[in-house]
Amino acid sequence: MSNSKIWQCLTCDFVYSEAAGIPEEGIPPGTAWEDIPEDWLCPDCAMGKDDFAMQEVQNAS
Amino acid sequence: MKPIIIIGAGHAGLTLAREIRALDKTTPITIVSQDPIQAYYKPNLSKALSMNKSAEQLIMKQLDALKSDLDAELLEYTSVLKISSENKCILCHAKGPDNKTQEAFELPYENLILATGASPIELPIIGAAGNVVSVNTLQDYAQLREMIKDKKQILIIGAGFVGCEFASDLSSNGYQVDVIDRANWPLEQIIPEQLGAEIKHAISENGVNWHFQSTIDEIVEGKQGTLKAYLSNGSIILPDVIISAIGLSPNIQLAKDSGLLTARGIVVDEYSRTSRCAIYALGDCVEYDGQPLPFIAPATLAAKALAKTLTGNKIKRVLPPQPVTIKIANCPTLLCPPKTKEGSWHVSGDGQDLEVAFFNNKKELCGFALSGQKVSLKGEYLSRCSTPKISQGV
Repeated sequence: MSNSKIWQCLTCDFVYSEAAGIPEEGIPPGTAWEDIPEDWLCPDCAMGKDDFAMQEVQNAS
Repeated sequence: MKPIIIIGAGHAGLTLAREIRALDKTTPITIVSQDPIQAYYKPNLSKALSMNKSAEQLIMKQLDALKSDLDAELLEYTSVLKISSENKCILCHAKGPDNKTQEAFELPYENLILATGASPIELPIIGAAGNVVSVNTLQDYAQLREMIKDKKQILIIGAGFVGCEFASDLSSNGYQVDVIDRANWPLEQIIPEQLGAEIKHAISENGVNWHFQSTIDEIVEGKQGTLKAYLSNGSIILPDVIISAIGLSPNIQLAKDSGLLTARGIVVDEYSRTSRCAIYALGDCVEYDGQPLPFIAPATLAAKALAKTLTGNKIKRVLPPQPVTIKIANCPTLLCPPKTKEGSWHVSGDGQDLEVAFFNNKKELCGFALSGQKVSLKGEYLSRCSTPKISQGV
């Protein structure tokens, strides 16, 4: 993925990398942030995706 | 314009400031804290060794970054002596980092929020004072890391969330750990025996000695700083360091002294209002529906709702069931404790892979725990559990 992004949870610093996904949570590598279900919760602190915005921290190439 | 003053710069206080600022760029915000003001994720304190992080590396944001992000006045090393709700002002005492007391001063507020947190419950054990550490702040944790350097034997008192996580973190990083609790299995208050046995087994793999149904009679300090703990079951343990993880008690003294209604925690309504006008409270210092909820998610949700209320969009706090991950090496576990004790557990699965559901007397799912491979069923359980129910206020 050329424009893969990394998102960071504001509460606990959990990092979601679009390139890596979270296979153990059923999110395959390469899943864009927009494509993660709206009821998904941060695996560390359980805050919601929409309710608790993740922060775009960098663009990986 | 008088500011919104937040007392406390833990997760609840900082989240509230951030949420207010996201909605309102102009209202002045002042945060007063007796501790240094730094953002860190407190649940990481009991897993930092495995994360390979020092206390310093757990800091997510330092004072300067917070100051510019929040556009707020941040007063650290400042304690609040008194709230005068009639005059809408607080009396503060600023201490320099050198701990030399400076003068007292008053700060007027438009709205005041108590986010004073909770403190470790003191152990009523002979010899505990000075020989037992509790880890409730980043500074406590930095101190613990110094204490365990080049040491080997750790005794943990309490087999709840924090005790189990510390046992796992320390034992999987080369420490020899003993855990003592008067209960029969780990996390006895919130999980059934079968899952407790699996968690105990998983943590034991790295060498942990459990002492259940036991208490400590006395701690004796020997020569050269050695410690001796006499247990009620007759054993004697010789730990280098003793950690107490028996739970937290809401910090309500300031509220109480200022005439606010308190019980176990500061009493608030569903708008986070205390019994006094223009004074609110949230986080570990309050009780929600009669009980403290010292977890991250309820504090965040209460902060988000309160930020809306304070910026003109009055909204009630809603606390849906929130899963809490407990970090145990070898056994991923997710807990969503029921808010009631009336009901029964149903366990299915094998070995480490367990589904544990708690049904109330109306046979409604109102809590659960998942371990091993069953953790992947989180979404399904949460949606079954999330159907709003009328809470039975105390």
